[in-house]
Amino acid sequence: MGTLSDEDVELLVGIRHFELALLRVFGEGKVNGTTHTCLGQEYVPVALAPLLDGDFVLSNHRGHGHYLAQFRDPAGLLAEITGRAGAVCSGVGGSQHVHRDGFLSTGVQGQSLPLAVGMGLHYKRTGANRVAAAYIGDGTWGEGAVYEALNMASLWRVPVLVVVEHNGIAQSTPTTRQLAGTIGDRVRAFGVDFTEITTHDIPAIRSELAPVVDRVRHEHRPAVVQFTTRRLGPHSKGDDTRTAEEVEALRAADWHAELAAALGARFHAIDERVRTEVDRVVAEVQARPPSQWADLVEAGVVR
Amino acid sequence: MSALSMSGALNRALADALEADDRVLVFGEDVGPLGGVFRITDGLAARFGDRRVFDTPLAESGIVGTAIGMAMNGMRPVVEMQFDAFAYPAFEQITSHLAKMRNRTRGKVEVPVVIRIPYGGGIGGVEHHCDSSEAYYTHTSGLRVVTPGTPQDAYDLLRDAIDSPDPVIFLEPKRRYWSKGEVTPGADRVGFDRAVVRRPGRDVTLIAYGPMVATALETAEAATEEGWDVEVVDLRSLSPFDDETVCASVRRTGRAVVVHEASGFGGYGAEVVARVTERCFHHLHAPVLRVTGFDIPYPPPKLEEHHLPGVDRILDAIGRLQWDDEVVGAGRGA
Repeated sequence: MGTLSDEDVELLVGIRHFELALLRVFGEGKVNGTTHTCLGQEYVPVALAPLLDGDFVLSNHRGHGHYLAQFRDPAGLLAEITGRAGAVCSGVGGSQHVHRDGFLSTGVQGQSLPLAVGMGLHYKRTGANRVAAAYIGDGTWGEGAVYEALNMASLWRVPVLVVVEHNGIAQSTPTTRQLAGTIGDRVRAFGVDFTEITTHDIPAIRSELAPVVDRVRHEHRPAVVQFTTRRLGPHSKGDDTRTAEEVEALRAADWHAELAAALGARFHAIDERVRTEVDRVVAEVQARPPSQWADLVEAGVVR
Repeated sequence: MSALSMSGALNRALADALEADDRVLVFGEDVGPLGGVFRITDGLAARFGDRRVFDTPLAESGIVGTAIGMAMNGMRPVVEMQFDAFAYPAFEQITSHLAKMRNRTRGKVEVPVVIRIPYGGGIGGVEHHCDSSEAYYTHTSGLRVVTPGTPQDAYDLLRDAIDSPDPVIFLEPKRRYWSKGEVTPGADRVGFDRAVVRRPGRDVTLIAYGPMVATALETAEAATEEGWDVEVVDLRSLSPFDDETVCASVRRTGRAVVVHEASGFGGYGAEVVARVTERCFHHLHAPVLRVTGFDIPYPPPKLEEHHLPGVDRILDAIGRLQWDDEVVGAGRGA
């Protein structure tokens, strides 16, 4: 890996520790419903964070890393997921439906792309120099809304960046069993720029994508960037159909061990500090009272 | 005040809203130079320019999603779904984003999108041009669902819808597009979520909305020959529901019939019957009846007149309201 700042490393391991802590909290029965972790994919939003500063990020069901890279707010996110005071959306959105200025996630596959078109169209018309960036997975390419949005984004030249976290598996279905052809061919058919990223070297990724994001922002050329990445955990909970060997092979290629080896003592110092901090946040958030909903009329939800 | 068709009133409402507020945008399939299949947007692109009134690809999910993205940035998009069943590809956007955004953000984010949908039958169209899809939307919390029965209401409700900070499903009774009536833009409006008594009567309340308002009024006239004095309530707002106006009427008359084009089973009328029964039980002299389309997919054009409730079927229902079991001191004959 190229040179990473301490801040980058902190964010990388911070997302990792957040997700691991979340699985622990889940195991203790303190999370209602389910949750989807981004273990293995943390470097994608970390790489993109400085390129998307001030932009609008649309996230998906596997969005904790996207949120943390944007806001560095593990307490607010954990409170949201566990329904505690200080939750980003008062606990209504949970893991998958988080809104904050400049950020919106939805677990509904592909449905963020049309919104990105509307946002991007508005940014273009108002000269905002802003990008609407939407994270989706490889499985999302089965959804028709993706193509409606790509067509409109290309036709109207809208500053939309689609980030594909291609982890090779849609819930339990391998890509080879759910996707005909390639994502790149589909994208290029719309006249949309396509870039493929196969490394997890963050500085290299940033160098390659900076001009891509620039074109989206200033020339209003929509683009799709595909990251070939790895999902180390199950889709949500207890639904991993891959063999232990398959998962082990993915772990062997994970960024974490490589980065630890490359940075040595520096990595371990940061890792230890961040792990302690995440543990502290988890304990602190869990000690909070349940999130209270403001009076519905007062909050403007009911008129 | 001038005589306008319902389509003319809708066109005027859009033009006045575009004129009054720069944030208003109109887009959808063929709404630009063509002016829409039913010409509701006729002349708007020429007058306001293709930045504010523009054609889109055939992509209903994309259209509604784009509208949401723009509304979240302070715009007020009015989008057209060309026909009722054409809106179904947008259902996910409507139910998962449009209806839920405000609740999800505890009131922080408003999504003032209006989705105009020509709905209902009576024009000899094919099945996916004739659906009465209101119950899909009224069943979804977080949406306003309104439908005009007169040209004046077409104007008023559409202006109300565009002014509203809430997402609105605006159902246009396409068979009444060409019906004419006096329209006064800028007149005092009844209120966005109010029902109105279109015709006062003492004996029975006929509850109708959208395309069936005219049919109900026609029925009320015909009923005088049978000796029944029929009150017609036009719901206007299907969600939220104006319990106050509806129940006040039913408590006065003691009898009620709900009329709609949509199939009866699981239809909107079932909700109306339940609400009226729950609130007016001790005032009722007979069960509340429904006259609806049959429980079938929309029939071929030659059969639609049998499917759609007409005067005879409604009169027949009124006749079955247990007139022989008269309770002294209430309703007819009191």
